[in-house]
Amino acid sequence: MKTIKAPFKLPNTLHLHYHKEATAALALEVMPAPAVVQIPMSQHLGAPSRPIVARGDSVGLGQPIAEPVGAVSAWAHASVSGVVKSIGEGLSTSGRPTTFIELENDGLDRPGSTLQPRPDWASADGKSLIPLIAAAGIVGMGGAGFPTHIKISPPAGRIIDTLIVNGAECEPFLTADQRLMMEKADLIWNGIQILRHILGGPRIRVAIEDDKPEAIRAMEKAMARADGDVEIVSLPAAYPMGAEKQLILSVLGREIPSGGLPADVGALVENVATCAAVYEAIVLGQPVTQRVVTVTGPLIRRPANILARIGTTLADLIAFCGGLTGQSGKLICGGPMMGVAQIGADVPMGKTTSGLLALPRESVRLFDSMPCISCNRCVRACPMSLLPCTITSAVEADQLETVEALHTLDCIECGCCSYVCPSRRPMVQLMRQGKARVQLARRQKQEQEKAKGKQG
Amino acid sequence: MAKYLLLVLGAVLVNNFVLSRFLGICPFLGVSKQLSTALGMSGAVIFVMTLGSGVTWGIQHAILDPLGVGYLQTLVFILIIAAFVQFVELVLKKSAPTLHKALGIFLPLITTNCAVLGVAVLNIQLKLNLLESMLFGFGGAAGFGLALVIFAGIREKLDRANPPRPFQGTALALVTAGLLSLAFMGFANLVKS
Amino acid sequence: MLNTLLVPVLVIGLAGFLCGLLLAIAARFLHVFEDPRIEKVTSLLPGANCGGCGYAGCADYARAIVEKGAPPNLCRPCSAAGARDIAALLGVEAKAAEKMVALVLCNGGDVRSRRSFLYNGLAECVSADMLSGGGKTCRYGCLGYGNCARVCPVGAIQTGAHNLAVVDPGRCISCGLCVKACPRNLIRLVPASHSVHILCRNRDRGVMTRKACDVGCIACQKCVKAATGQGLHMEGNLAVVDYTLPLSPELVGVCPQKTIHQRPAGPLP
Repeated sequence: MKTIKAPFKLPNTLHLHYHKEATAALALEVMPAPAVVQIPMSQHLGAPSRPIVARGDSVGLGQPIAEPVGAVSAWAHASVSGVVKSIGEGLSTSGRPTTFIELENDGLDRPGSTLQPRPDWASADGKSLIPLIAAAGIVGMGGAGFPTHIKISPPAGRIIDTLIVNGAECEPFLTADQRLMMEKADLIWNGIQILRHILGGPRIRVAIEDDKPEAIRAMEKAMARADGDVEIVSLPAAYPMGAEKQLILSVLGREIPSGGLPADVGALVENVATCAAVYEAIVLGQPVTQRVVTVTGPLIRRPANILARIGTTLADLIAFCGGLTGQSGKLICGGPMMGVAQIGADVPMGKTTSGLLALPRESVRLFDSMPCISCNRCVRACPMSLLPCTITSAVEADQLETVEALHTLDCIECGCCSYVCPSRRPMVQLMRQGKARVQLARRQKQEQEKAKGKQG
Repeated sequence: MAKYLLLVLGAVLVNNFVLSRFLGICPFLGVSKQLSTALGMSGAVIFVMTLGSGVTWGIQHAILDPLGVGYLQTLVFILIIAAFVQFVELVLKKSAPTLHKALGIFLPLITTNCAVLGVAVLNIQLKLNLLESMLFGFGGAAGFGLALVIFAGIREKLDRANPPRPFQGTALALVTAGLLSLAFMGFANLVKS
Repeated sequence: MLNTLLVPVLVIGLAGFLCGLLLAIAARFLHVFEDPRIEKVTSLLPGANCGGCGYAGCADYARAIVEKGAPPNLCRPCSAAGARDIAALLGVEAKAAEKMVALVLCNGGDVRSRRSFLYNGLAECVSADMLSGGGKTCRYGCLGYGNCARVCPVGAIQTGAHNLAVVDPGRCISCGLCVKACPRNLIRLVPASHSVHILCRNRDRGVMTRKACDVGCIACQKCVKAATGQGLHMEGNLAVVDYTLPLSPELVGVCPQKTIHQRPAGPLP
């Protein structure tokens, strides 16, 4: 085991002020379970889960309460023990409507997990562990929320030769993964070993940005006696180093083809929190019922890294941190670059909520977006080497063919273009609109062809 | 050989039919909204102008000049070109429907294209022989196509821009055409005329 | 003297005659059969190329009518008389298509419906809808950023001062483009003769609806009870008009929320 510097340089990155000093030195705090939690049905990519409990049912901690629907979906579990108070609708942290299961906490934390612990995983067949990971409801906890059991079952013909463990945490303000690595390095390392076993023994690269030396040291200590091809990669601190495609490029020098998956280049990226969740699921038989959240921002009285139950509302998180010190301007779930501004604090957190950022009214400026002046700053900032200025203009001018031809679907929505735009254009919003419209046009075309095929 | 090359190059760049002789402005503005249609139109024009030059040269030297009615060339050429284009369209429709679909809609437009008549008259004025006439016709059409494709590319980009309201549409297209014409003046001394 | 006049006349005349002859022969030998009715039908269509019939423009639709037997009444901008003319030309019977107009099923402009936060993003419905509903508290209501107005080929939709899209039924040619443009599926084509409408699509419970909007359907069911046997029924928490059945204008007074509206009936201008 050794620590190396990132072997490959990324084409375009931003050097942001990371603002991590407020919470980087603060140990994880366990937040007592709130009186009521609301479990959202879409905490992951893909189809929302379907509730399998009814109003008035009694549930235990870790009991499955919603089942996956379709191929890409995930289980959801009760994060407290108690009674199902209601099943209703509301907005999730991503700003889309979703169904919620509201649970009233009885404070007993009566166990209800149906998972069979497998401390003997090393002697088990790797493939037989995948259903356990699915049943534990584990999704990519870095933010995307792609169901992990699908990710670790690569399509036929694709061999994963490298597992990259993502501890980069390049979003400003967030320190959740950093603290997890510093305090629970053994847990993460055990989770990595389980994943390595399932994947048939690929190389392991644990990627951490070099502005977190304590995290690197903690992981080095935990992995000191690691066997096999295992390395810690110290990445230069730059945004968006922690994005999947950027990480693979930086660590392996492999570029994922347009529209492809990491498996196409033999790589797999898992977040450190996901690895910890895998350990908890397989060895301890605990499904995902809690996660680390960084609650921070100039407006939070006592910023903290909290281990909170899934379904805790943002208001409860803020209250646990001593409330707000002034009038709220913006409440963002996630970091400032990719996070989503919330319409209120009564929204519950999900499995992918890694941070909560509260900004005061003074620091939130309204602005009118001006026309593009073709300065090309976004082109130089785009980590995917796209042409954001041309694409966004084409979206505005309704030139869908141009939008599609310029690989808009490869946009990772990292926000670099919006960040550097001197005309204050809502670049990411335009890119997202372009992506949505290209996908819609493709679906309509497919349906038309299907209908034609039936006729002919 | 160099003589022929200079003839073609001169027609394409120096004395570009659209940008320096100002012939064929109407399809230049009309079919330059999309790069794909501009390419189709260019193909059709190259085809018609090259063959048209040959046919009109033959008419002039075989019929008009011996009869001493060279002054009728304008009238006769219009007649011949119109009929020729119609004929080509019929042939294409019958023998190559796919090509007709790609070029067909542009062919009737070319009937009244002054660049086609222009090249026929210029051939006679410049006293070119048959081969030179056809090369000149080809060069002129290629120059027309080049200008059309460049202009269509610029206009596609202009569509994404956000110009002030009074400039939108034809106004900006004409200003751009003027700038393009100025740019082509840079080729002025490339070929000694 | 005679020669100077005769020769040019002969040359031009002969050239014209030969060209004509050549084309005539060519047309005979190279003829590709095309039904002459296609051209006639095309001339009867409005030529707006709106695509409302489902074909790529008027010429394509005309071809479909003649060659594939597509029904002649699909063209919505055509008057009923237009469809009859086409049908008469082809000798088929025209089923009279009822004139339809687009209707925005929301009446909650900014005066009556609330906004929960300040939206500083793109003034465009799809983007606003993706971002927590662009500030509109009601997740079903009209966002008012005018995607429908932008696609309307005849300028029949205005978003007005209160950020609420309104269709001018007199100008609407019922092409249906706005129906597809609305990310919240608020616009639907209704028979122009139908004058009573429920202008709401909110499916939340009454309490929630009331919080979001002053003129939303709160599912009190008063209208459904008052209109037994008429075209009105509940779909969950929302009263919905069945446009195949008539509806009495008296219902307008029954609704406590003023969700039910009557639009001037009679022939449209």
